[in-house]
Amino acid sequence: MDKSIFLTVLAAGLFSWGGASPVLAQSPRPPGEVRAADFPNDAGDAVRVEWELSPDDQPQPAERLVVAYEILRREAGEEAFTRIGEETYQTRSFKDDGCTPGASYFYQVVALGPDGARSPAAAAGSPVTPVMQYFDFSQFWFGVILLIVGGSVIYFIQLARSGRELKVRPIAGLEAVDEAVGRATEMGRPCLYVPGILDINDMQTLAGVTVLSRVAGLTAEFDARLDVPTCRSLVMTACRETVEAAYLGAGRPDAFNEDSVYYLTDEQFGYVAGVTGKMLRERPAACFYMGAFFAESLILAETGNAVGAIQVAGTAMPSQLPFFVAACDYTLIGEELFAASAYLSGESHQLGSLKGQDVGKVLGGTLVVVGCLLSTAAVLTDAALLNQVLSYLTDHVLGNQGW
Amino acid sequence: MKQIDPDSVNVILATDCGSTTTKAILIRKVDGEYRQTHRGEAPTTVEEPAADVTLGVVNAVAEVAEMAGRRLIDDAGRILRPASGGEGCDLYISTSSAGGGLQMMVAGVVREMTAASAKRAALGAGAIVMDVLASNDRRLPHEQIHRIRELRPDMVLISGGTDGGTTRHVVQMAELIAPARPQPRFGAEYRMPVIFAGNRDAAPLVEQTFDESVQLSIVPNLRPVLERENLGPARDKIHDLFLEHVMAHAPGYDRLIRWTDAPIMPTPGAVGNILQRIAQQQRINVVGVDIGGATTDVFSVFDGTFNRTVSANLGMSYSISNVCAEATLPSILRWVHLEMEEGELRNHVKNKMIRPTTIPQTRESLFFEQAVAREALRLAYDQHKQFATTLKGVQQQRTVGDTFSQEASGQTLVDNMKLDLLVGSGGVLSHAPLMQQTAALLVDAFQPEGITWLAKDSIFMMPHLGVLAQVHPEAALQVFRRDCLISLGTCVAPRGTGAWGSPAFRYAISGGGLEEEGALSFGEIKRLPLGLGASARIVVEPARKVDAGAGPGRPLEGELRGGTVGVLLDARGRPLALPDDREACRKAMAQWVRDLDLVPPVPA
Repeated sequence: MDKSIFLTVLAAGLFSWGGASPVLAQSPRPPGEVRAADFPNDAGDAVRVEWELSPDDQPQPAERLVVAYEILRREAGEEAFTRIGEETYQTRSFKDDGCTPGASYFYQVVALGPDGARSPAAAAGSPVTPVMQYFDFSQFWFGVILLIVGGSVIYFIQLARSGRELKVRPIAGLEAVDEAVGRATEMGRPCLYVPGILDINDMQTLAGVTVLSRVAGLTAEFDARLDVPTCRSLVMTACRETVEAAYLGAGRPDAFNEDSVYYLTDEQFGYVAGVTGKMLRERPAACFYMGAFFAESLILAETGNAVGAIQVAGTAMPSQLPFFVAACDYTLIGEELFAASAYLSGESHQLGSLKGQDVGKVLGGTLVVVGCLLSTAAVLTDAALLNQVLSYLTDHVLGNQGW
Repeated sequence: MKQIDPDSVNVILATDCGSTTTKAILIRKVDGEYRQTHRGEAPTTVEEPAADVTLGVVNAVAEVAEMAGRRLIDDAGRILRPASGGEGCDLYISTSSAGGGLQMMVAGVVREMTAASAKRAALGAGAIVMDVLASNDRRLPHEQIHRIRELRPDMVLISGGTDGGTTRHVVQMAELIAPARPQPRFGAEYRMPVIFAGNRDAAPLVEQTFDESVQLSIVPNLRPVLERENLGPARDKIHDLFLEHVMAHAPGYDRLIRWTDAPIMPTPGAVGNILQRIAQQQRINVVGVDIGGATTDVFSVFDGTFNRTVSANLGMSYSISNVCAEATLPSILRWVHLEMEEGELRNHVKNKMIRPTTIPQTRESLFFEQAVAREALRLAYDQHKQFATTLKGVQQQRTVGDTFSQEASGQTLVDNMKLDLLVGSGGVLSHAPLMQQTAALLVDAFQPEGITWLAKDSIFMMPHLGVLAQVHPEAALQVFRRDCLISLGTCVAPRGTGAWGSPAFRYAISGGGLEEEGALSFGEIKRLPLGLGASARIVVEPARKVDAGAGPGRPLEGELRGGTVGVLLDARGRPLALPDDREACRKAMAQWVRDLDLVPPVPA
């Protein structure tokens, strides 16, 4: 037995024999059966220790006799147990994550009373050797969903490469790009392209630059004027490169004018004032707003509407979408903006990826619907089975271990 | 144009100078109403050795005169006017498509905008559009110049830019055409007529670009703003120049122009004219089709907007091979209820190619030709739907409610549910042995929805009436209603599909000697007799999700017009989908052939 425990017990016995005193509290009774087992689905560096509560550890006692449990560990070949952790009362398990894979360990649990009283130690019956698992089965559902979505992406890419036509629903906003540039050409006015007000590291800005490539290709083909005011210097550089590449691709490198893509200011409303001023002066026939927008969305769209331009907007900012929808001719909503690249390029890997993601969305939507139905049924019927299924769905399929 | 007192016109003579035949009709006032009384035809004589179109006209008129017992030609070979006693006529008019009709090249800035409007103007005037040049037609300038030199159009129409819009692109287009010096088909001394109907600001610059070798006419912009077309002035100018230049240089036309009391119109332009007037007068939507040997013309008037397309490669003789290539043999074979292999079908095609002017001699050949005609008409109608669209480049007005339903511009104007009258003409339709075959061809190819009146042009009289409508609309409309159209009957076909055998709609018909009630399942078609001139009322109660014209599942009451075929109750579904399996398809087709009595009786 551990020396300290022995002394504690001895001291308690002496005081008790003397009939005296509450100076040293009475030791709580030890916890029940202690079990130690390799922690599952890990790298072999953890052991789970479980025990039954001490009989003195009651949920609502008049006086609490157990305030904590101390967990002790001894590696095979060592002499003494060392303290590795403590858990509060009413706790039945402890994760020891300081183990060495392949080493064998012995565990003991001691119930601690108030004022440092200790119960006799309860020991696990046999040593435990943590080992590494190659598969983390707690993430099973995550793996399944990943396989479905990833597999779908690969499948659709292969399908597209084999020459099968992948149907993507027509996105009116992207179809209208040709029309808008055509209108500007017929009216002899420029096309204005605003790539949002955030920097190049924002996904929406990147998606907007993809659409700019298409617009620039068309202005090169139609021999129309393009005007791209930017709010960030890096965005200006990226847009310049994009427009130049588009003009080159259209066979009109001579028509590229790098001054058509320029920087105004980082200031949100300074930028808006600059752009709207230009709109009123030059009266563009086609305005494109693609990227991240905030309060300036309605100011830009209303000005464009006032000068009689066809306007195509695209953003993933939910709060700005209603303004764009109401004031623009066509609006790309969230995902449509991100799908623009695949939609416009028609490349097999991009289209396949888009379709694969759609499978994931359908799967997610289906799980949500099934969850709602189960939840409703569980509330109405109070059936235990439904509750179990629901909690499994919530904890495993949708929870941290799943979707 | 001469001023004509409509009340004094009692006898009208009209001719249509086609590529091969000149057709003449005589219209007379009988009991206060104009009626077509006699018809004659003769070979067209525009080519050598005669090289004088009036000879053919005189021959055709002579035939009419002989049949009518009325002297119409004087001793000098001229048409006698005015009518007095038993000779002469009060009005002589003519159309012409001889020598390939009016062939034009059009140009615009953007292919889908001003160039499309220019094409619509040219087609509406009755021209064949040989090519459309545009800034975005993906051809390099030298390719465009080469193409202009290669073509020999009768006329060039240039458009582009809204008023106050681009001048640069328009001048660039003119600068391509001017040095290319397109050569006309007729006459070495002939100056190529060029019509400019673009941005008014660009007109002086375009004028400077062309030299004396062309005859430049400037008319108001056909697309003054992108939201509106103004095709009238350009069309009128095309007609004027057609007469002044094209016709004046064709053999004998100078004389023919002097004979006529109204300007000679291109034949398709005249057909479009009469259809527009009918649609306007009766406030209906009309589709007309003329299927020929080499081309198929489709005309439509929906909500007052007229459109015409020429499918230059879809026809029943010279273009039959192209129809088979575009439609594919299996698609044609699905309309044949006889056991026929693709090989046999191919043999029929090759034989028709070798002898394009032959007509079917066997039952198999007839059904084969009608199967090809269905596909040719279907393809031509598809092309028409793609062309007859709302204007592109137009600003849209949106509300937040449009978030998930943003409709693009350029939607087709053709809506089969709104179609009231479908008129067919051309050999394969006009000369089908049975009227119900003509009706079946029209229904299968066009797939009308709701309640649609079917008719055919009895003797291809629409061109004559189109030009007559310009000088005497009342006479033209009276003859159109009474003599031009042969009413086939009415087709009732709800929109929607379902499993074959499941309920499609119930019907109750009363009137015109017909008291019928019943129900039809998907996959069925039924023919009920309703004679010429008779009419009846029908109540259609469609199944859920099936639309007879009043909305899905909602009953519809309408009027049925009788005809030589009667009433066709078509529950085969819209869009009509035939079984993929050949044997199942053949059996279904055989059943429909029986239901509609499409097999001609064997002569005793």
